[in-house]
Amino acid sequence: MKPYPPLCQNQAILTETEIVLDGRVSELRRISAEVAKFCREHSLSEDVEFDLNLVLEELFMNSVNHGGCEGMENAAQVRLQLLSGEIVAEYADRGRAFDPFSAPEPDVDAPLNERPAGGLGVHLVRQTMRDWNYRRDGEWNRTTMRRNL
Amino acid sequence: MIETTEAAKSGWWVVSVKGRADAEAADQLESALRAAIEAHPKVAADMAALDYISSAGLRAVIQAARAAQTKSSEFAVCSPSASVQKVFKMSGMQHILTIHGELPC
Repeated sequence: MKPYPPLCQNQAILTETEIVLDGRVSELRRISAEVAKFCREHSLSEDVEFDLNLVLEELFMNSVNHGGCEGMENAAQVRLQLLSGEIVAEYADRGRAFDPFSAPEPDVDAPLNERPAGGLGVHLVRQTMRDWNYRRDGEWNRTTMRRNL
Repeated sequence: MIETTEAAKSGWWVVSVKGRADAEAADQLESALRAAIEAHPKVAADMAALDYISSAGLRAVIQAARAAQTKSSEFAVCSPSASVQKVFKMSGMQHILTIHGELPC
């Protein structure tokens, strides 16, 4: 008898990968290596690889720089799921409870001397992914988001 | 990881940037661009070999543009890849940077 594949919102999960990260900037190298491996194994495009790197870096660096995750062991977890026609990415960290999507959108039309320093990272996440959603789950901040293939 | 090489070309000082402009490399990128802007009146960042940029890399480029503005010198960004261009566009960088499809020199 053939086992049923695991389901995510009634769609079969074709494959998934999980990355556990310590709270330090050098972990970006591991994010990029794991994302590259995931994309190569499943013949995903360079655009998908670029976008996953971008959104994971932005969320991870927010946790390290502003969420209190700096220096923390097992500070964050990434789960990438390949479904039919889309990728579901979940990013979780054990930092302070914070909804990244509660921050105001930066004015990307502002001239050089009026540009605020922050807010650009989450703006890139919003622009790159869809259906992003945040929830606090015990000691974890969990963000899920999707990208079409 | 980022590598920069520099050369004079037709009146411009060209800083060629290779690799990934992520949070780990952003300080190095900002230092290289600011040092070039400090030393030369016309600086172009050649991004043809830049594979990746995040908001941290963008901030490095924005800081360099600010330094150039303060000094009233010229600063241009050249030949970004399609992916890097996409990040520029999402961030409205076209409003604050001079971006050339090819090297200005």
